[in-house]
Amino acid sequence: MTTPLLPTTTVGSFPKPEYLLTARTQYARGQITRDQLKRLEQQATTEWIRTQEELGIDILVDGEMYRGDMATYFAENLEGTKISGLVRSYGNRYYRKPVVVGPLRRPRAITVEWFEFVQRQTKKPVKGMLTGPYTMMDWSFDENYPNRRACAIAFAEVIRQEAEDLQRAGAQYIQIDEPAVSVRPEEMDLAIETMGLVTKNLRAKTITHICYGDFEQIYPKLLQIPVDQIDLELANSNFDLLELFKRSPFTKEIGLGVVDVHSHRVESEEFVIAGIRRALKVLKPEQIYVDPDCGLKTRTPQEAIDKLRVIVNATRKVRQELEVAHV
Amino acid sequence: MIFTVVGNYPKIPNAPRPAKLRQAITRFQGGELTQAELARVEGEVTEEVIREQEAVGLDLLTDGHIRWEDPATYFARGIDGFEISGLIRYFDTNVYYRQPVVTRALGWKGPITVKDLQFAKRVTNKPIKAVITGPFTLARMSRNTHYSTLEALVMDLAKILRQEALALQAAGAAWIQFDEPWLVRAKQDFPIVQRAYTVLTEGLTTKQTLLCTYFGDVQGLPPAFFKLPVGGFGLDFVTTTGNFDLLKRQAWPKDKWLAGGIVDARNTRMQNFEELERAFGQLTAVLPAQQLHISPHCGLEFLPREVAYAKLEQMVKSLRQGVPVL
Repeated sequence: MTTPLLPTTTVGSFPKPEYLLTARTQYARGQITRDQLKRLEQQATTEWIRTQEELGIDILVDGEMYRGDMATYFAENLEGTKISGLVRSYGNRYYRKPVVVGPLRRPRAITVEWFEFVQRQTKKPVKGMLTGPYTMMDWSFDENYPNRRACAIAFAEVIRQEAEDLQRAGAQYIQIDEPAVSVRPEEMDLAIETMGLVTKNLRAKTITHICYGDFEQIYPKLLQIPVDQIDLELANSNFDLLELFKRSPFTKEIGLGVVDVHSHRVESEEFVIAGIRRALKVLKPEQIYVDPDCGLKTRTPQEAIDKLRVIVNATRKVRQELEVAHV
Repeated sequence: MIFTVVGNYPKIPNAPRPAKLRQAITRFQGGELTQAELARVEGEVTEEVIREQEAVGLDLLTDGHIRWEDPATYFARGIDGFEISGLIRYFDTNVYYRQPVVTRALGWKGPITVKDLQFAKRVTNKPIKAVITGPFTLARMSRNTHYSTLEALVMDLAKILRQEALALQAAGAAWIQFDEPWLVRAKQDFPIVQRAYTVLTEGLTTKQTLLCTYFGDVQGLPPAFFKLPVGGFGLDFVTTTGNFDLLKRQAWPKDKWLAGGIVDARNTRMQNFEELERAFGQLTAVLPAQQLHISPHCGLEFLPREVAYAKLEQMVKSLRQGVPVL
């Protein structure tokens, strides 16, 4: 199955349905078994596959029904880690932070089973979704390695193993998210170095998602991250990021975030069309993949679906314009 | 020598102890608790963290900043002219805060933290340190859409926070600390800080005031930094070794306290006895113990409650009693 011009996709997470949230709480309290929880995770995953297909999205994700936090999930499945007590991230939000307590090792594949579960159910390509080594390091306590670089390099090795296993299982797209890289511009070289360790043997198309940052500080150096595609949030800054690309061209493929994931309001098709058209002024059509700004897990399922429908419809309209122009 | 904390303390413990405050805020947001009922829980938790600080043997306590959502909005909400906007990252941490926006000329509405000090003083006989987010850091953490220059904003905040400091002094704060972590990452703005602190401290008669820095060292600041009109300086000896180098190079000012942050408050790793003693020894080598505060290098909220407690306990046991812990 070939992907069309301006392929549509998503950044990774979808909202968990009510029954799964309830089940997760029950599991945490020891009221249901791991198997019972897993069956519901599979049910919710299958529902999201059907939804993505019905909407007409071109490159699918598993929706991360089985993950809590994007760093903690991987840490829980590695040796050499434990999970901390609760720490606050903001307001009344708390999370358990990974703690690196010994040499990191990946005893077995982490996400491959889920990738295969999803790929079996669709003819469309499914993205493998990983959290990058720099972010895993930055979002963990480290009690083991002598410094941040050593810790990030150790994470890179286990993530490389996982990425190569995903490729072996048939993943054509592997996304390795690095939302933390924009926080310390002085550590950009470390993020570049460790991503290189992960992607060096990959033939699959590689993508990284980056968010929440001061892009003026890290652009165009950002383009040195050794991946094929960088996924950015543009809608929440009203596409102003595109102005930077006038000064210094964006040389990779881009995952163009066209709807704000932090807002309940569903964007209009006109807003998304205008955003894509503006992107086409500084980027070639072949460079652009269209998606939401970030993972949709904080929206309600209906909001997520409505936002995705707008993306698909708007992209189709722009795609038709391009095809007509081409003829 | 005074064993103390920099400021905040983790708001919730881990199981089996109940996360009272988290539950109360959730219920308050869902309309199941009134403001007064939430305030009662905040009081209970404040008392709980004061008891923990007493139990480890600290000499100078804070109220743990249990009521603070973060260091910026707690003050911004109490000052006229601020609005609160979206989430933004707090320095280079994994923590976010809602950014205050300066929308018009700022004005003092009345004391913001005095009732918290009074509450803490009722709960314990130990001296209480009141903490104010300093005018420079509060300005830098905010988005300014009104003042024509950063300096104009900082100077207005200095005037406002001076009222707060005077009110805290009148209410019997043992120490008043101005937190200025932004200074170590914007050293070029020191002249603004210098002018602001003249205004900020005018009329303060207590000598027990601190300007506290963290998340980096003060190397590269002009010598005038150590002449600022405060009783002492809080320095971070964990993030970098720069402040150790500085102590070796220049004499510590005779009339100033040093508040040394030597316990790592951003990592769960426990320092061993030798590490702590070495750091401590480098401070006592250059100034008498009577001029020293010893503490973690920043607030404790980056750590789970139990780890924060263990670190304080280790600090006091190792360094006061010479009992090696770990």
